Amino acid sequence: MAMTFVKANQLSTAILTSPPKTTVSTAMAMCSSFSPRITKQFRGRPISSFPVKPLFSGSFKAFSSQATTKADDIPARVGFLGLGIMGSPMAQNLIKAGCDVTVWNRTKSKCDPLVSLGAKYKSFPEEVAASCDVTFAMLADPESAVEVACGKHGAASGMSPGKGYVDISTVDADTSKLISGHIKATGALFLEAPVSGSKKPAEDGQLIFLAAGDRYLYEIVAPFLDIMGKSRFYLGDVGNGAAMKLVVNMIMGSMMASFSEGLLLSEKVGLDPSVLVEVVSQGAISAPMFSTKGPSMVQSQYPTAFPLKHQQKDLRLALGLAESVSQHTPIAAAANELYKVAKSRGLSDQDFSAVIEALKAKLQHQTK
Amino acid sequence: MEEVGFLGLGIMGKAMAMNLLRHGFKVTVWNRTLSRCDELVEHGASVAKTPAAVVKKCKYTIAMLSDPSAALSVVFDKDGVLEEICSGKGYIDMSTVDADTSSKISEAITSKGGSFLEAPVSGSKKPAEDGQLVILAAGEKALYEEAIPAFDVMGKKSFFLGQVGNGAKMKLVVNMIMGSMLNAFSEGLVLADRSGLNPQTLLDVLDLGGIANPMFRMKGPTMIQNSYSPAFPLKHQQKDMRLALALGDENAVSMPVAAAANEAFKKARSMGLGDLDFSAVFEAVKGPEKSS
Repeated sequence: MAMTFVKANQLSTAILTSPPKTTVSTAMAMCSSFSPRITKQFRGRPISSFPVKPLFSGSFKAFSSQATTKADDIPARVGFLGLGIMGSPMAQNLIKAGCDVTVWNRTKSKCDPLVSLGAKYKSFPEEVAASCDVTFAMLADPESAVEVACGKHGAASGMSPGKGYVDISTVDADTSKLISGHIKATGALFLEAPVSGSKKPAEDGQLIFLAAGDRYLYEIVAPFLDIMGKSRFYLGDVGNGAAMKLVVNMIMGSMMASFSEGLLLSEKVGLDPSVLVEVVSQGAISAPMFSTKGPSMVQSQYPTAFPLKHQQKDLRLALGLAESVSQHTPIAAAANELYKVAKSRGLSDQDFSAVIEALKAKLQHQTK
Repeated sequence: MEEVGFLGLGIMGKAMAMNLLRHGFKVTVWNRTLSRCDELVEHGASVAKTPAAVVKKCKYTIAMLSDPSAALSVVFDKDGVLEEICSGKGYIDMSTVDADTSSKISEAITSKGGSFLEAPVSGSKKPAEDGQLVILAAGEKALYEEAIPAFDVMGKKSFFLGQVGNGAKMKLVVNMIMGSMLNAFSEGLVLADRSGLNPQTLLDVLDLGGIANPMFRMKGPTMIQNSYSPAFPLKHQQKDMRLALALGDENAVSMPVAAAANEAFKKARSMGLGDLDFSAVFEAVKGPEKSS
């Protein structure tokens, strides 16, 4: 048991004292601010919450080398697959905090800003996984997540005992279990950890992680999650994180569709929709999403923080989840139809608030 | 502000009238069930036997009735407002009604020389008690200005929205969004539960993000416990959804989500939940208990 504590602590120490790639002072400042938090996490934690014996002796071996005084020589190497709207700022935050980061993206040019900040680059997910201790993946949809993890030159091919894979993509539970199976078959650990929060929270390190899977890996990567986010939840078995994320986004998608109906109705009956936004912000249904997006929606502008196509994907997956538990969800179903209409009008890459266009009679031609 | 009349001492009216009394207003009250006046009398209110008697006594009369038919009734029936309204007096109807009802009342009041303001509110029992309502006024601007001292006591913010009908419409739009949101929230809670997640955890996650809002925060915990003590009766929420949909119909506005939400509220009413808090729609969304 004590060894488990040691290995976790040693790893976190290793992460924090690894030679930073950027300015030393920044990294050291981050180190000292993170140190106490790490210690607090493990203080007073009942031993029974850790596995009785190491499940993977391999992992123990890889980390136990930290037990020597040469912790500084072996930093925890972090891989990051997928540098889209979310992945790019998340990886950047890790680099800025002094982490040793290796990146991959299907479109190589997206890696350039990260590399100029100090990240390493590898040509395939397999190579990233092989050269890192923990690899994060942030892909757009179930298909990409499976391809990157399990496809040719995929991450699973580079995983082995002692390594961890953290899939922060938003997928359905079955996809997550599929990926988990492939990863764990190599002896590595798996965690799903989809996030709540879009572009700005990603940039600001204010995401909410909804993790499930290997508890031990969750504890190991907690410091990274704390760099990228403001809070995290451990929800149990693989599938629970995916389900929680889909439930949240189902509510969100329905709320945005309803808000759109309200804005449009207010305008059509001779009210000023900006005043509706203000009235809503004063009352019981005041939500940050409405205050943030309302003003731009009134101007028919939809700057992309969360692409509409992904919101529709999430609704589709949520409806699938509802079907699997025989639940009737008429509001979500009605909302989903609106997002489908919006997609058919070419609004897939606009912010999901563009769903309001689906309610309008005439086609609004969106220029690129 | 001079003596204020107050018609209608239900969940909202009683709290609002109480606030006026506590802030030093002289108030004369009327309620269809007279016994509800008692507590206000203890706090210094006078009682009048009919709406007409209230209007006769007071320069300004506020009304807070539960639906269009009650709002029309206190104005048009025998011993109603119309019998005593005249030039120099103002009538402020804070009930939530459709724009047509409001226009009808406005015409009747102004044709007798009185001034009229519709001023439905956003907020339920607790905001009413705490003087934290949002007031959506429309009609005569001069009367609005005169009413501000009372509005400032009853609410945290007032809007003047222009011509009669605009306040009513704004209120219906807000409550339409609210009804749909509560339904979406209910669907989420049920799905979380059926997927083996802890509904309380869902509440915790929601409260941290972009869709956090006071309604979820307030209602979530009680819904999880199947507790629906009425702050806003479900039958009134369903009435508001129906009126909002009618507004959409009149103007050919597409509202599929609101239509689906209205169905859920109707179902809840048919289950006998009309007098419970509108969050009781959760029971309708849950559906019959199945063994899976």
